[in-house]
Amino acid sequence: MNIPDEMRNILYGNYFGYVCTSDRNDQPHITPVFFVYDEPSQKIFFITNDRSKKVKNINENPKLSITVDIRDKKNPFNNEGVMAQGTAEITEKGPVYFLPEETLQLYTDIYLEFKGKYQAVIENRPLGENDVIVQIKIEKMVYWKGPHFKSVKLD
Amino acid sequence: MRIDEKKEMKWIYEIIVGSIPPFSFLPYQYSILLQLLLLLVIGLALGFIFGLKPVSLIYGSLGILVAVSWSLLILQLAPTLRKFRAPLSKDENELLERYREILFHRNHYEAVPGLVIFISFMLYIFNFGSNLLEYWIGEKPHVILLLFVSLLIWDICYRMGLGIWTSILALWRSINLRKLAEKRSELEHTPYTELNYLRKLDMNNVFFGMISLLLIPIIQQDSFLVAIILFFFIFLIMTSFASAYIVSKVPWLPPDIYNLVMESSFAYIGNAFHGATHVTPVVYIFDGQRIFFNTSKESKKFKILRKNKKVAFLIDTRDMNNIYENKAVLFTGEVKIYGLTDLPFRFMQMLGARSLFIKKYPEYTRKYATSELPKAWQLTPIIARILIEIKPARIIYWRGAKQISVPV
Repeated sequence: MNIPDEMRNILYGNYFGYVCTSDRNDQPHITPVFFVYDEPSQKIFFITNDRSKKVKNINENPKLSITVDIRDKKNPFNNEGVMAQGTAEITEKGPVYFLPEETLQLYTDIYLEFKGKYQAVIENRPLGENDVIVQIKIEKMVYWKGPHFKSVKLD
Repeated sequence: MRIDEKKEMKWIYEIIVGSIPPFSFLPYQYSILLQLLLLLVIGLALGFIFGLKPVSLIYGSLGILVAVSWSLLILQLAPTLRKFRAPLSKDENELLERYREILFHRNHYEAVPGLVIFISFMLYIFNFGSNLLEYWIGEKPHVILLLFVSLLIWDICYRMGLGIWTSILALWRSINLRKLAEKRSELEHTPYTELNYLRKLDMNNVFFGMISLLLIPIIQQDSFLVAIILFFFIFLIMTSFASAYIVSKVPWLPPDIYNLVMESSFAYIGNAFHGATHVTPVVYIFDGQRIFFNTSKESKKFKILRKNKKVAFLIDTRDMNNIYENKAVLFTGEVKIYGLTDLPFRFMQMLGARSLFIKKYPEYTRKYATSELPKAWQLTPIIARILIEIKPARIIYWRGAKQISVPV
């Protein structure tokens, strides 16, 4: 399924997002992450440590959201962003073969500059000790620019 | 502050009384209360035996009531200071360590002001023509009655002394804490919970001062003593308020986080309801002590917040050229929503928050105010834009990839 251009531009043009998970008591938690979006599967991927709070939360409650935005200190009408809500699945220590070639290329491009931890992923080697891949199956997306909103439901 | 379990924080009079049966069988605080209750019973019995006027019994009971209330307030000091966690600053830790040491000094200096007050008072009523004693217990009182009244006077004077002792020390501690707080670096700070304890103890001392007014009926015919009590009242209230005020100005965030929150422009707020989460960027302000943001009554986050006050609030610097130097702080906790009902008592706070918003985001305010906007974006305070305060329970700080949990 295709999504409106504005949403696609944001999701493909940025690689830094804010993931919000919550525990079984509805206590939210936010962390910044590097992510990759894949339109054909309508999925967002990110890597994290299996002992992190977000993994603990996802195990209690797989529903989560991620916001990707462009911010303008001066003009609120230029503030633009997407919030995607969906369900997460944790793939333990698997290589990222499951990604389509295009996405993998993008992934490589993005992460090439981030050494260390992400090197393992880029070269398709198994992930580092304790690293896991989180896949978010997007169910709903909200886009905003200034005061204007747009939302899409995916299934 | 490392708490030495063996070193008990007790004052001398409380120790002495606490070691006499039946008081020794009871926990510390209760033994003091029992002692005062016993005093009341004995006092009333003596009153009947020696046929005192009813007004004397009332005065005696009032005196005991003052002593009990003072005990209750002042005895909260030790348990509160016992649960005090060590500040994450060496200097501040040493200061609070010293404060505690002097407060509960093994030479028991705390009894000195009380002793001075007691001796001066006894000299005064026995020598300087004041007929208070006669007014209280008659012309030729029995020696037992005299002893009893002296004990009661001691009970009151001793605690008056403790009030002076604790409030002066508190003021000294607060002034120095404020000074030390200005020299903090990186993550050094005294957590919010501990600063709050100190403020509560100071407020206890304010009440302590107020209670002294109950003594006025007892000594009403001696205007010199009334003046002394009034002086005591004003002194305690002023020092304790000053101390509480100074503590309230000590930042509860360490400088690294304080500066990040002060300098950054955007935050992300995360909510959750029935498992579904929601995360959106917001603009916010920080007055040095509290973090506020604004939202529209029509917004999704406000609708969720009304059902679940738990939030995550993340503030970060985002420098894409130097990703490893990025800093972020995450506050998790609850929010306080300011509504119309808060207007009468929180008006100044709400006004202050609004002017900070205008100062921090002048362009935003202008654009919000002048354009044709959907209802959700209109800048009508309270009616359309709701002021919300973050009340953090936990803080997590990231410097690059390093994650640090910061006590609140």
